Amino acid sequence: MSLAGTALGLAMAAAAVATLAAVGSPARVRAAAVGASTAIAGAAGLVAGVAAMAGGGAAAVELPGLLPLSGVAFALDPLGGLFLAVVGGVAVAAAVYGIGYAGHGLDGRAVQASFPLFVAAMLLVPAAATVGTFLVCWELMALTSLLLVVAEHRRRAEVAQAGVWYAVMSHLGFVAILVGLLVFAGHAPDDAFGSLRAVAGQLSPAVGGVVFGATLVGFAAKAGIVPLHAWLPRAHPEAPSHVSAAMSAAMVSLGVYGIVRVGFDLLGGLPGGQRWWWLLVMGLGAVSAVYGILQAAVHTDLKRLLGYSTTENMGLVLVGVGAAGTFAAAGRDVLAGLALAAALLHVINHAAFKSLLFLAAGSVLRATGSRDLDELGGLRAGMPATTALFGLGALAASALPPGTAFVSEWLLVQSLVHGLPASGVATAVTMPVAVAAVALTAGLAVATFVKAFGVGFLAKARSPAAAKARESPATMLAGMGAAAAACVALALFPGVVLPSVGRAVAASGAGSADPVVGGAVSMRLVGVAGSLSPLLLATALLVAVVGVVATLRLVANRYARRVAPLWDCGAGPLTARMEYTATSFAEPLLRVFDDVLQPELDVDVTHHRESRYLVEAVEYRRRVPDRVERRLYRPVLAAARWWGEAGRRLATGSVHRYLGYGFYSVTALLIVLAVTR
Amino acid sequence: MVRLWQRIRRIGRVAEPAPERVSLEAGGAPLTKAAAGLAGSVQVRHVDAGSCNGCEIEIGSAFGPVYDVERYGARLVASPRHADALLVTGPVTRNMAEPLRRTYDAVPSPKLVVAVGDCARNCGVFAGAYAVVGAVGDVVPVSVEVPGCPPRPEAIVAAVRELTGR
Repeated sequence: MSLAGTALGLAMAAAAVATLAAVGSPARVRAAAVGASTAIAGAAGLVAGVAAMAGGGAAAVELPGLLPLSGVAFALDPLGGLFLAVVGGVAVAAAVYGIGYAGHGLDGRAVQASFPLFVAAMLLVPAAATVGTFLVCWELMALTSLLLVVAEHRRRAEVAQAGVWYAVMSHLGFVAILVGLLVFAGHAPDDAFGSLRAVAGQLSPAVGGVVFGATLVGFAAKAGIVPLHAWLPRAHPEAPSHVSAAMSAAMVSLGVYGIVRVGFDLLGGLPGGQRWWWLLVMGLGAVSAVYGILQAAVHTDLKRLLGYSTTENMGLVLVGVGAAGTFAAAGRDVLAGLALAAALLHVINHAAFKSLLFLAAGSVLRATGSRDLDELGGLRAGMPATTALFGLGALAASALPPGTAFVSEWLLVQSLVHGLPASGVATAVTMPVAVAAVALTAGLAVATFVKAFGVGFLAKARSPAAAKARESPATMLAGMGAAAAACVALALFPGVVLPSVGRAVAASGAGSADPVVGGAVSMRLVGVAGSLSPLLLATALLVAVVGVVATLRLVANRYARRVAPLWDCGAGPLTARMEYTATSFAEPLLRVFDDVLQPELDVDVTHHRESRYLVEAVEYRRRVPDRVERRLYRPVLAAARWWGEAGRRLATGSVHRYLGYGFYSVTALLIVLAVTR
Repeated sequence: MVRLWQRIRRIGRVAEPAPERVSLEAGGAPLTKAAAGLAGSVQVRHVDAGSCNGCEIEIGSAFGPVYDVERYGARLVASPRHADALLVTGPVTRNMAEPLRRTYDAVPSPKLVVAVGDCARNCGVFAGAYAVVGAVGDVVPVSVEVPGCPPRPEAIVAAVRELTGR
């Protein structure tokens, strides 16, 4: 048995131990035992993924007796290994963090047992090698994450609502995936991925389109892609923060895994006629990226903002995946490989910085009890480590040079820009639009994270709770530290992971192997001109900053210095009410994108009793409702409600009536059979 | 564009020559050392320390198109952080004493203070009133004083030219 298989087995064993520990151990040590075992499971998953990406032989396990009918089979290839490693890495950080976070009401048996099961299910999804196994693991992942989302339902009423949204949407997505994969498997001798791959060449384009379309709906719903994103900004804020991190950084990425696995690998043999699939994927990705970051830019709930940012990043990943498919359909393997490598690298980078950001947001939530940026501020004094870590995460998330997302977004833009000379009207139109969408997204992301960090952590505290915030315990800081270390490593040395990403790209069958040659210092694109050295760039920036500061100090020291109080218009000390809030910071953006966001404004002026000319109070309310949700979901929900009401008229509660229904339907069936036979 | 440039060159300056500088007081007050350091460009912040707004109207007039004190290098600015000089009007009231002190502190060195009007110089008709702390000179050091109730715009222009040296 290979290293990858052994490590994955070890991960499952550790997850089982963690689940047993959650059920069996006393409450005092429960969180620590579960967290430690889950972290071991995550670490083993990380090792398994890295070993699989290194190509340590195809590890395959078949357990025919485990499930009826089809049995269970697992196999690891570099593509699955990449997602396995992402899930494992995120699980380590989240599990260690969870030990300290479990304090308030989260150390119950059910919640603690669900987390290792959730991690195990996520680890098994990319390793599944048959349709049956894949669907079982996918469903297990959905169910355990649902249990974790509703963990705090006794304390807040909104949790239950978020849970309903999440349950319904993830199961509708599951149905779509089920339909797609079963239609596919119906054309193959059995449901193993290998047999599906073999018969893909004989599918008609229509069947191929149905399979791809149905699975795309399901996987896009999991990845939080517009317009199927509605569950994401609801469920992420309400889940416990380490669960939000695991969901946002790992589980959501598995939607991308599904699209790549089905679209490139399983359906890769389908000849011709696939271009519209990938143009559709690219369009969905671009819309999600821009819409997600716009919503993130105007929201003030810190975790909701991060949830929308997940939609944005998954959109960017899908732009890369769609570009890869478009290039592959046009026979340009080099560019296809580059675009897919950019997308997969962005999955890794997103996992690193989004887990860090969600964990830091959880740390703030635990210390202040608030997720509302307008009530935070001034956390730098009380929580210096969390502030520094969130700052690092914000930099990593905002596509600026020393940041983590910069590397993968640069690769993405490179692949899109070099795709311009490719033939075809579709390419000539989509590629520039995609570049524009990525650029707009990058700019708005900077504004969003400047808002989240500046308003949330710097300046003065806006509420007593924020003023009294204290630093989180060591285990939480350790979890955040692990994610932060991954962010820094990925930002400075992307060359370390690029060969593995190249092998994953090759395994997906979308493009040539090793689209990017990564050295220790710089990386160079293969096949097209372009090279980048994140390490030298970061060093140059550091040197420039130090140089400017030193020069300013030198110049300033030549003059006499005088310490003067901050200018407050002479009226006395500045208060927190004079600061920029998250709402006011986002106001210009809201104004610019008024037509897209359509905010609801409510101004109530109460006049004085004695004169209309005197104002007693002014009340100002502003909401930014999700427009897609309102336009798309409301009619569907209304139709479902109408259908239910109509059905209720038939079900009056009378037993006689129900017996009558049974009698008449059986009779009608017999008549139909008698006539047709 | 070229035609515009030619026109500008052909017409040249059409403004009337600036009036002669008149000294504020008989004998001519020497230009202070600080004013010399400003090199002819003075950014002015106006502070109303309790004025009846008579002086404000005259200041507005001095900075208006008729007297146009800006042509001598002075400019009204919106924050003491940007200013070289304060133009203070009115007797200093109790409520404005502390803000005036803070404003003075907020001006970067070197800094000058012009007390505009009789009230600013010696409390004028408000001397001894309950709400009045004292003249501007009692609160912050004053460099130049402009007499009058209110002073004529010419007097204000003369005082500002004293600072700019132009």
